[in-house]
Amino acid sequence: MNQTPVSCIPNSSKMSKAKKVLEEAKEIKNPELDLSDKGISSFEEMPGLLNMLNITRLTLSHNKIKSIPPGLANLTNLEILNLANNHLEEIPVSLSSMPKLRILNLQINRLDSLPRGFGAFPVIEVLDLTYNNLNENTLPGNFFMMETLRALYLGDNDFEHISSDIKNLKNLQILVLRENDLIDLPKEIGELQRLRELHIQGNRLTIIPPEIGNLDMSSNKSVFKFEGNEWVTPIADQLQLGITHLMEYLRTETYRIMYHRYMTSQKPEVPPPCIDKAKKISRNR
Amino acid sequence: MFSFQSNPNASPDVPPLPLTIQSSLFKRRAQSKETGLDKDDADYDTLPNDNEEDISNSSLYLDSAVYMVRSELEQKLVMQKLDAAHQYQQRYGVTSGMSLENMLCSRCGDGFEPHEKIVNSTGELWHQTCFVCAQCFQEFRDGIFYEFEGRKYCEHDFHVLFAPCCGKCGEFIIGRVIKAMNANWHVKCFLCDMCKKELADTGFIRNAGRALCHECNAKVKADKLGKYVCHKCHGIIDDQPLRFRGEVYHPYHFNCTNCGVELDANAREVRSRPGYAANDMNELYCLRCHDKMGIPICGACRRPIEERVVTALGKHWHVEHFVCAKCEKPFFGHRHYEKKGLAYCETHYHQLFGNLCFVCNQVIAGDVFTAMNKAWCVHHFACSVCDQKMNQKTKFYEYDLKPVCKKCYEKFPQELRRRLRRQHEATPRKSPS
Ligand SMILES: [Zn+2]
Ligand SMILES: [Zn+2]
Ligand SMILES: [Zn+2]
Ligand SMILES: [Zn+2]
Ligand SMILES: [Zn+2]
Ligand SMILES: [Zn+2]
Ligand SMILES: [Zn+2]
Ligand SMILES: [Zn+2]
Repeated sequence: MNQTPVSCIPNSSKMSKAKKVLEEAKEIKNPELDLSDKGISSFEEMPGLLNMLNITRLTLSHNKIKSIPPGLANLTNLEILNLANNHLEEIPVSLSSMPKLRILNLQINRLDSLPRGFGAFPVIEVLDLTYNNLNENTLPGNFFMMETLRALYLGDNDFEHISSDIKNLKNLQILVLRENDLIDLPKEIGELQRLRELHIQGNRLTIIPPEIGNLDMSSNKSVFKFEGNEWVTPIADQLQLGITHLMEYLRTETYRIMYHRYMTSQKPEVPPPCIDKAKKISRNR
Repeated sequence: MFSFQSNPNASPDVPPLPLTIQSSLFKRRAQSKETGLDKDDADYDTLPNDNEEDISNSSLYLDSAVYMVRSELEQKLVMQKLDAAHQYQQRYGVTSGMSLENMLCSRCGDGFEPHEKIVNSTGELWHQTCFVCAQCFQEFRDGIFYEFEGRKYCEHDFHVLFAPCCGKCGEFIIGRVIKAMNANWHVKCFLCDMCKKELADTGFIRNAGRALCHECNAKVKADKLGKYVCHKCHGIIDDQPLRFRGEVYHPYHFNCTNCGVELDANAREVRSRPGYAANDMNELYCLRCHDKMGIPICGACRRPIEERVVTALGKHWHVEHFVCAKCEKPFFGHRHYEKKGLAYCETHYHQLFGNLCFVCNQVIAGDVFTAMNKAWCVHHFACSVCDQKMNQKTKFYEYDLKPVCKKCYEKFPQELRRRLRRQHEATPRKSPS
């Protein structure tokens, strides 16, 4: 490319912004590519990007990208792919075959669903899907097969239920389900022995499976966020006293019996959805 | 030549049986047959009643506990195969000239007819009809008889009247009788309850109603105390045992192969043929001699390492003894993390010290940024939305316990920011150092 010092072509400033970064990166062989907030709406504005096989990080947050070319998966050295705050409505399944992709950030997009086979990432560690329009019916069947996941961010989505398959995420340390429409929690969360951050605030929860009491949520290395739910009185009372009290209470026979009663005869009324999601920009079309 | 002839007119003058029933031996046998062998009998003077739980109180040794058949009886229990003709020949052939008139039947005291058959037994002579069992008056089968208190009995009656029954097999006991545990036994039937070894010549110890050999008793005792039994002297090892060739011993039974000093539990077993699995070539050295030999010592078990050596934390380790200080699982070549002289697996290092970088998931060697329940290395402490590096001075917002720079936060959808603000979750804070 002949980048003349004086450009008299109008309307090229937007294009050249991204291009310039690409050129620079190519020149200095920087494997970390920052294209955040460059007004990009399409990968076509980044010629040659898909040939930069050496790059390990690609940050494209705060752009207006609507779709990702499947060929992006050819960047086989990519470890971090950040597409936060774009206009993505879908993503190609090819991404899940990227051999080194460890961190995938898709927060604040417009994803209604994930493609079939999405859960095949070989080494994924952090998956951020915060602030999209996902729910249990639009997740692919193998979603909870990503055994290598350390952190899963599903806050600000539309889940009412979470599959019991979540027990397969044996390495999960962080699970964020903040501000969904959760009506219940799978007891299998109690099997996630490494979990040390659990965010379930702002949902429609009333009771907690006793198995959650198996988690080590009262240590100073753990965080349990639970506010903004319609907890039944015994749970609310324990939460008043503190997490340690709640976790101990969940393990008691008393609670086990009570939980069984809640699950069978005395089902607590399901609270209505608490936030008006129509205003979410993820709903924009 | 003489030959035996039956004398139908012989009317033996047999004295009525002395009350053999009064014989204490008979009485004992009869009672034990009726009431079972374990019945305590006043006539049994052999075993004190032991406290079944307290072994040491009931320890009895052979000399006092194993009884032979009373010696006076035993001497008379001369089992004889009578060959009368031979005997007679032997006697009268040699002592020729002895007149028939001088010979009298030992039983009835009468003389013998010239052609009468005479029975000679242990130097005494009998009419054939007088040489019979004192109980059943029958001739002795195969010439075998038993003598007791001057009277002769056939095998059957002797057994019935005098011989004890074995507490194990129930058969009559001929020869040596072992009296123990409130019963009589064949030598071959009185065995250690655990190892089934014969106890007649080694003695036994009564332990909770069982007869045990000394070794087994020691084992039981040691088990109860949670201690070992020395493989050499069978005594309980009160202090630290010495392991050698797969057994445990009192250390003082051994001396150092090199300097000859009596060993203690710190002695080292050395494979004299390294690589050989069999340990019968192993030798023992005192700690001093061993250390001079230059064999690496495992930092965990303090024993020599003869196979693969792991060197870490400035020490040597058996591969299987180099373990996580928390979960004690061996690393087996997997990555370990060191802290204050201890090694940890990734999980526990992180759990205990929280120093794996949230982004690169590697142990943080230099400066650590800790915030929001996480840690970052200097290279990776960055805004979670734009990936821009941050430092101690950068202001950031917290969003699901992730750091968000001010610039990015301001690009968040308005309605989200409003919600976050309402939740008091997004309080700007300074990053810690
Ligand atoms: Zn007889
Ligand atoms: Zn024995
Ligand atoms: Zn010994
Ligand atoms: Zn020595
Ligand atoms: Zn060792
Ligand atoms: Zn461990
Ligand atoms: Zn890092
Ligand atoms: Zn940022």
